Amino acid sequence: MTRHTRILMSIIYWAFVAYLFVPLALMVTMGFKDSKFIGFPIRSWTFDWYIAVAQDTQVLAVFGYSMAIAISTTVLSLIIGTWMAAFLGPNTFRGKAIIFALACLPAVIPGIISAIALRIFARLIDIEPGMMAIILGHTVHNVPFVALVVMARLSTQPKSHIEAARDLGADSIVAFFRVTLPYLKPALIGAGIFCMLLSFDDFVRAFFLGGYQPTLPVLIFAKLRSGMSPEINAISTIVLIMTAILGLWAERSMRRLNKGS
Amino acid sequence: MAHADSETANLAKAAAPGGRPTFWGALLQNGAYQAISGTLFKTPRRQFVLLASLPLFWVFFANLGPIIEMFWIGFLDSYPPKVGYQPQFTLANWAAFFQDRVFIIPFFRTLAYSFTFTTITLLITYPVAYFLAKHVKRGHQLLFLLLLLIPFWVGEIVRTYAIMILLGNNGAVNLALKSLGLIERPIPFMYTGFSLGVGIIYLTALYMLLPLYSALEKIPDNYLEAAADLGAGAWTRFRRVTLPLSREGIASGCTLVFLISTGYYATPVLLGGPRSTVFAETIAGFFHVAGDQWPMGAAFSSIMLIATLALTGLFLKLMGRDGKGMMR
Repeated sequence: MTRHTRILMSIIYWAFVAYLFVPLALMVTMGFKDSKFIGFPIRSWTFDWYIAVAQDTQVLAVFGYSMAIAISTTVLSLIIGTWMAAFLGPNTFRGKAIIFALACLPAVIPGIISAIALRIFARLIDIEPGMMAIILGHTVHNVPFVALVVMARLSTQPKSHIEAARDLGADSIVAFFRVTLPYLKPALIGAGIFCMLLSFDDFVRAFFLGGYQPTLPVLIFAKLRSGMSPEINAISTIVLIMTAILGLWAERSMRRLNKGS
Repeated sequence: MAHADSETANLAKAAAPGGRPTFWGALLQNGAYQAISGTLFKTPRRQFVLLASLPLFWVFFANLGPIIEMFWIGFLDSYPPKVGYQPQFTLANWAAFFQDRVFIIPFFRTLAYSFTFTTITLLITYPVAYFLAKHVKRGHQLLFLLLLLIPFWVGEIVRTYAIMILLGNNGAVNLALKSLGLIERPIPFMYTGFSLGVGIIYLTALYMLLPLYSALEKIPDNYLEAAADLGAGAWTRFRRVTLPLSREGIASGCTLVFLISTGYYATPVLLGGPRSTVFAETIAGFFHVAGDQWPMGAAFSSIMLIATLALTGLFLKLMGRDGKGMMR
């Protein structure tokens, strides 16, 4: 590779990084503007929008609602996803490829179609639009991610672990909880945090499956439709910081796992 | 490894007679538990059935069920069911799609947009992924990759809003151009296919980048050295070695970006305009504006699902591989 292409590629990389970060940086900056109108230039600065958010009971309630949905979704997704991985990982059976493809399906179906299908389905099984429906929708979407992460981890576990446990008198259930589960722990932490982020940040499912109570992205969307305001920037910035911290934590947990056990 | 070993040691202690039993040890000795687990795990076949139960239920009930139900509703003339009226079977919902330009134009626009955005994303992220995989030192790759990952953890709405601030009439780009004296009046970037493209690529680039990166990273450096020794120039090395070996990454990246980019709803609403309406907005209209149009919305969603899956299936076939392991 010649010197010129190397320089060119590093320029493209940094331009791409700028493309990713500049919009977010602008959004954060705008949250400190001392004016109701979004736009440049910024002449004076303030912290008031954050104080306004902290006192806005609707935003706080919605935040708690989104959090409750995210946590329930994560717990359900981890249980179902791990079970799925324990089934699909080590076993071979006829039609496995089809089951595997179907298990991954929700992760690749276009969001709007998945949301519409789940909206109709929730009506069929008599779930009112609202928290339960959103949790169902998010769990359907997240299970494939958990299953894939856990399957990858499971494939590195030596068979001798389980055999040793069995020799020492554990049955399948006890061997799973005492040997396999601790081995999966870093993968489960990583997958769990990503589930929380996916659920907390999701718009389209929450929008179609939700009732009158909005989740945080749905609330931001509604506010945006009635006009941009620095208050939205303040909310978004808080979400951004929280997301970044959680994401880095998940990444750390997953990387430690890749370095070997 | 050491961790798991100590686990097994604990287990031995738990199961050993005489020692003080732990919870799990006590459980294994418990008569009721022994009776239950004895029946459930009597044969490998029973164990397998038990293990398969929840995953199979979930796959068919939660993953396949809603899709099949959606197709079925598309054939009814009225849904949700009204009191005292039995929905009739009809093909009218499917026929309506082909009879009105209001539906067909957004449909093909969506496919054209997604195709264009996917191609641009590939062209932008390929050099980025190559730079990461081949030029950044092994020890630093994680750091460089993390820098790209962080923005992608942020949700759809927040990132869409960030693009609105970037491209608005009083946005950063217009301000910069104005202060450079390049323009007098702001350029109306917003509410066009352009702003929509900037937003969608912003949202989906990672789904292209990661498969490309993992494919490129696997190409051994000595392949390229061997090609160079045999007299291949930089362009030939790229075309004959790197590109074919990264084909799998290109295939999965394009598939993911295409499928995901057709499914956004909030981003086209916020960044697009009347001349860039996408099919997601058309579909959403049947569920929001008039509650009685569910069958039409279901039929249209089905048409879109079939079209996108067929196109990506065709694409993967052309790329010479099946859909297996697409997610990795």
